[in-house]
Amino acid sequence: MSRYFKLVNFELNRFIKIYLVLAGVIILSQIAGVILQANSYLRMASEIINVEMLSRSEFINQYGTMSFYQITQSIWFDGPIALSIVSLLIYVFFIWYRDWLGKNTFVYRLLMLPTARINIYLSKATVIFLMVLGLIALQLVLLPIEINLLKWMVPLDFRTDMSIYEILMTNYMTILIPLTITEFIINYGTGLMVVFIVFTAILFERSYRWKGILFGLIYGAFAVVLFFMPMILQSTILYEFFYPLELLALHFVTGLIVMGLSVWVGNFLLNKKIRI
Amino acid sequence: MNLSLNKREPVYVQVVRHFKEQIATGKFEPGQEIPSRRELANQFKINPNTAQRAYKEMEEEGLIFTEGNNPSRITRDEKMIGTVRNELIVTAVDQFITSIRPINVPVDELVGLIKEKYKDDEKR
Amino acid sequence: MIEVKELTKKFGSKTVLNGISFTADKGQITCLIGINGVGKTTILNAIMALTPINSGEILIDGEKIHKESYEKITFIPDATIMLPQMRISEAMQFMADFYDCWNQKRADEILQFFRLKENDRISELSKGNTAKVNLLLGLAMDVDYLLMDEPFSGIDIFSREQIANVFSSHLVEDRGVIITTHEINDIEHLIDKVVLLDNGVVTKEFNTEEIRENEGKSVVDVMREVYQG
Repeated sequence: MSRYFKLVNFELNRFIKIYLVLAGVIILSQIAGVILQANSYLRMASEIINVEMLSRSEFINQYGTMSFYQITQSIWFDGPIALSIVSLLIYVFFIWYRDWLGKNTFVYRLLMLPTARINIYLSKATVIFLMVLGLIALQLVLLPIEINLLKWMVPLDFRTDMSIYEILMTNYMTILIPLTITEFIINYGTGLMVVFIVFTAILFERSYRWKGILFGLIYGAFAVVLFFMPMILQSTILYEFFYPLELLALHFVTGLIVMGLSVWVGNFLLNKKIRI
Repeated sequence: MNLSLNKREPVYVQVVRHFKEQIATGKFEPGQEIPSRRELANQFKINPNTAQRAYKEMEEEGLIFTEGNNPSRITRDEKMIGTVRNELIVTAVDQFITSIRPINVPVDELVGLIKEKYKDDEKR
Repeated sequence: MIEVKELTKKFGSKTVLNGISFTADKGQITCLIGINGVGKTTILNAIMALTPINSGEILIDGEKIHKESYEKITFIPDATIMLPQMRISEAMQFMADFYDCWNQKRADEILQFFRLKENDRISELSKGNTAKVNLLLGLAMDVDYLLMDEPFSGIDIFSREQIANVFSSHLVEDRGVIITTHEINDIEHLIDKVVLLDNGVVTKEFNTEEIRENEGKSVVDVMREVYQG
C-alpha cells in the first residue's frame, strides 16, 4: 500500500510542472478576460452615452447590462478550460507512453518495482483523477474572485449579478461542476470508468503492439456496450421495462463491473503479457 | 604486484605459481601476512572465486596457513620453501632442456655457454 | 540458483529462443555469449518477467518470479532506466524509497569508485558515465542476483577498465551474476561460466577454469571451435 502512495506522489511530481502551467493559464486568462471584457463594456458604455447623448438607463435598456454570463461566453474563459481538458485527455495516453518513449525507458524500472504491478495502473489513474479534481477546485475558488472583480470594476447600475449557482446552471459547466452529489458521482464515476477502459486498451496495445490496437478497440467497444447494456435492453427487447431510477442503478452496477473488469484485465496484461 | 595472465591456463594455477616465485625468491618472507582473497582479486583483477580457489590450493599444498580468524600467512616451514625453490628450478630447467634438446648440443658446450650468458645477464 | 528451462520465445513467426536451458549459480559470474541478435537481451528480459515467453520455465531459487523477487534479483539494462531529468542523487532517493534492499552506504562507495558527482543530471552524462550510473543503481541493491546486459558495449576504454574492476571487487562477491556480451576480451579472466548461444539454442555451456585446466583452451578458442567448426 505504501508503495502505491509513493507511486502516486511520484507520478504527480512528473506532471506537476505542466500542471502548474495549466493552472497558471487558467488563472491569468480568466482574470484577464474579466478585466478586458469589463473594460471594453465600460468603454463602449461611456462612448455611446457621450456620443449618442443617452442617459444611463436608456443605455442599459438598449444595450443591456454586463453580467458574468458574457464572461463565461468568451474564449478567455472557455479557452483555458478547453486547453486543460485537451491536455488531460492527451495525458491519459502520455502517462503510459512516456515510460516507453526515448532512450531512457523508465518502464523497466516501473515493472521491476517490488510491488504488485496493478499499483502502477492504479496510481496513474489516481493521478489523472486528482488532477481533474484539482482543476475543478481551482475553478471553484476562482469564480468568486472573478465575480468580485467584476463587481469592483463595473458600477452597480450597469451590471446584473449572478450567483455561482446561476453561473453553473447557464452553461456546460454543470457537467464539469455538478450541482448535486448524485450528478457528481455519475459524471466523475463515468469519467473514471472511461479512464480505466482507455488504460486497459493502452495496455493491450503495449502488450501486442499492432495487433493490440485492434484488441484495445474491441475491448473498448465491448466495455462501452456492457456499460450501456441496461439502456440498450430498455430500448429494444425490454421496451420501457425499467423506471428511470432503476435504470440509473443498473448503470451504476454495469459501470462498476466495467471498472472491475478493466482493472482485472489490466492486471493480467501487466503481469503476463506486457513487453518492454 | 601485478600479474599478466595467460588465457589458456587456469587462472588459479597462474596465481599459485606467482606465489611460489615470490616465496622462492624471498619476496614473501616466511610467516608474512598475505592479502585477503578479496584484496588479491582486486589486485590481480580476477574473480574472487578464483582467488579463493588459489588460496585453497596453496593451503592444501602447505604453502600458506591460516590460524583461526587471522589473515593467512606464508609458511614458516623452511623445508617447504626449499622444495618450492627446487620445484621452480627443476621446472624451468626441464623447459629449457625440452627446447634445447632438438638442437643436439654437447653438454659441455652447453654448460660453458650457460655460464657465459648467465654472467652477462647478471652484469646488465 | 537461476534455472532457465526449455525457454522458447517467438517474435511473430520468428523463433528467437528455441528451448534455451542453462543455470547460473549464486556466487558465480555466468556469461551469455553470442553474436548480436541471438536473443541474449530477451533471455534477461524473460528472467525479469519483462516480456512474455511462449513456453518454458524460469525459476529463481526454485520459485517463479513474483513481486518480492525484485528485492532479490535486479537487472541492469544497457540503457538508463531512470528519468533523464533526474539528478543522480534523486535517482538514488527513488531507489531508496521503493526498495528495502537499497544500500546507501554502498551506493556512496560506488559513487566514489566511479568518480560520479551526485548533483549531475543523468541526461547530461557521457555514455560511459551513464553506464556507470546504471551499474551504481543496480550494484547498490543488496540483491542475490544481478543481471547485466552488455555492460561494456559502446563505452570508452577507461570506463571499461573501471567497470571490469567491479567484477573483481566485493561489489559482486557472493552474488550470482549473469552478464551478456558479444565481446569477451575485457572479462575473460573474470567469469566462472560461459553459455554460448547461437540460432536460439545453447551450443555449449562450460566452466572457464575447467576448460583451461582440462583442455588448455581459452574461452575464445572454444568460441572459435563452436562458431567456426
